Amino acid sequence: MSEKTPSLLSRLGRNRRLKNAICEQRERLYRLAWSWCHDQHLADDLVQETLARGLAKIDTLREESRLQVWLTRIMANLFRDQFRKQREETGTDIEPVENEETPERAADRSQLVQRTRAAIAALNDDQRQIVTLVDIAGFSYADTARILDVPVGTVMSRLSRARGKLREHLERSPVTQAKVVPLRKL
Amino acid sequence: MRKNDDLEINAFVDGELTVDERMDLLAAMQRDPDLAREACEMNNLKSQLQLAYANPPGLAACNVARGRSPWLTIAASFVMLAAGLLGGWLLGNAPANPERFVMLDAQGRGQAPATADSPETRIVFHLTNPDQAVAGELLDDVEQMLSAYQREGQPLRVEIVSHGEGLDLLRQRLSQHKGKIHQLAEKFNNLTFVACKNTIDRVQVSEGIEINILPEAEIIESGVNHVVKRQKEGWAYIRV
Repeated sequence: MSEKTPSLLSRLGRNRRLKNAICEQRERLYRLAWSWCHDQHLADDLVQETLARGLAKIDTLREESRLQVWLTRIMANLFRDQFRKQREETGTDIEPVENEETPERAADRSQLVQRTRAAIAALNDDQRQIVTLVDIAGFSYADTARILDVPVGTVMSRLSRARGKLREHLERSPVTQAKVVPLRKL
Repeated sequence: MRKNDDLEINAFVDGELTVDERMDLLAAMQRDPDLAREACEMNNLKSQLQLAYANPPGLAACNVARGRSPWLTIAASFVMLAAGLLGGWLLGNAPANPERFVMLDAQGRGQAPATADSPETRIVFHLTNPDQAVAGELLDDVEQMLSAYQREGQPLRVEIVSHGEGLDLLRQRLSQHKGKIHQLAEKFNNLTFVACKNTIDRVQVSEGIEINILPEAEIIESGVNHVVKRQKEGWAYIRV
């Protein structure tokens, strides 16, 4: 009896704990999703769908300590399978849309921020994902490789190329003309 | 710059090199100012990216309504309550040796001596999880449970034993719930916080610092022995 009780309770507790932990990943996931697409609504959809799938597949998570990697991998797959596919089907290119003035935008209008975001937007999807996973989300090379399902060597080489392009872009973009360019508008 | 240098500098700023590799690269930087400048610029770029995405548009809206529903909290407390009752019923019946035992705390919290065959519900939570968000939820659940029993006039005794990585909850420097712990200890004399001395000694040796425990907590020699003892005495055991 004393052996059964903790296992039942710990299983109930694990699921509840994981559900809360998954929901608490929202902000981190949103930041990453927005860095991938530069579109508030799309980022929100991506995060919502990721959380919903995470909650539905909670039993497949073996190691609780891998929650962040596991969820981010779900989001990366969603981004690859749905977002990119949608873009190919609609043939929509990146549109230079003027940003609406919002309190948030007013707060972070520093040119440095705008220039950096524009440089990130100029990367291709693969490079953008790698550099944001490592620099913004703080994942190790090994975890980034697991999330994107590529070898660690690929992570290293893409990261190196992405940073090289970022630096080139930042060096040549005039500070006064910088602005955020959303990748696309759905 | 060679391609390998570039990969190595990237790995350096990302914390992916071993200690020896870092030492070698640092030595190389002392000899080669260009290499040092490259690493510095790479590091700046990394910081710049973090700054650029620290507060993306819509982040505030994404956090709206993240707070835990009071209904969920109430439901959770009922789950815990049921768990305690179930555990108490399963484990508390027919103890092998109904000896009296003395509560840990000398200041009066939980001062009533208990016997293993007494009708009160007794639950020991064994906290080993380092995540203080989890510990915070435990404190919320325990508070709800203690309040519910108090309202109903039902006897209940609860101990939270912090052990291993769960010790952080009771560490002066690391606890994120000092206020809550103080408030609970003041409010409920049937709740006891317990810290494991073996863990404290081990952390003091490994971290080389003195560990200070919150004054609300009692310190016992071994957290494992204590929870085993409690189980033998008929307490419901819940590991967190």
